[in-house]
Amino acid sequence: MSSQLDVALPETVADVDRPWITLVWNDPINLMSYVTFVFMEYFKYDRAKAELLMLDVHEKGRAVVSNGTREEMERDVAAMHGYGLWATLKKDD
Amino acid sequence: MGGFSKSLTGRVILRVDEVEKGLLVQLADQVCEFVIPEPREHVDPLAAIVGIDMDAEFPDDPAMARLFPDAYPDDPEASLDFRRFTQRSLQEAKLAHARTVLQTLSKSGEKVTLGSGDIPSWLGFLNDARLAIGTRIDITEENHQELADLPEDDPRHGMFHVYDWLTYLQESLVQLLLPHK
Repeated sequence: MSSQLDVALPETVADVDRPWITLVWNDPINLMSYVTFVFMEYFKYDRAKAELLMLDVHEKGRAVVSNGTREEMERDVAAMHGYGLWATLKKDD
Repeated sequence: MGGFSKSLTGRVILRVDEVEKGLLVQLADQVCEFVIPEPREHVDPLAAIVGIDMDAEFPDDPAMARLFPDAYPDDPEASLDFRRFTQRSLQEAKLAHARTVLQTLSKSGEKVTLGSGDIPSWLGFLNDARLAIGTRIDITEENHQELADLPEDDPRHGMFHVYDWLTYLQESLVQLLLPHK
């Protein structure tokens, strides 16, 4: 990557453009079927997508389950906590 | 002992004997006390109405910390803010789930019939109870057998068997709710 382009991009502009993501983390208690059910019910994902995300959580330790504004992701994280899933949010990088 | 099943008319039912029913009542009572300990008084009524709890802190208890994890793992300050604005209403929701379970049980005999409105509460309660017990007995993906083989005088022995039963119940309920492929 060229370092010449790496000059003075105003932080605020970058902040506006960078979406936030919701991550769900693996844990030894939540059932695979239940996690699939939650992804289908809350995010309205179809079963195939919900199962893929669930398997990512299970095998890779975490998965990005949604992205959007910080406010939207805080809502998703709170909803996941409501279901008992271990979720966090961060700025995508 | 069976799990949840569907009646011929499509209602979700659970058949329990007296001991199992008593155990579910006891567990639901414990979940109520666990998510919001008595006395359940709000210091600031206005904050309570909008679900804000300015006194919320990262919980000392590992089971509570598992139910209400930090939303920003690398930012304690943002996590605390998030907690102050969300934790109280999450606690209230979990309390409401356990209370719904108690209501369903109190009006049932050995055949427990779940109305469609009760199902999310039963699912939530079963999960909250499993999270609380599973955290207490330090369950991992590898130590199920080890816990199952504990001697009867080990306090975790009974807890593991209750956990195992709740897992079975929850799995049977989720399978009824997942659409067929």
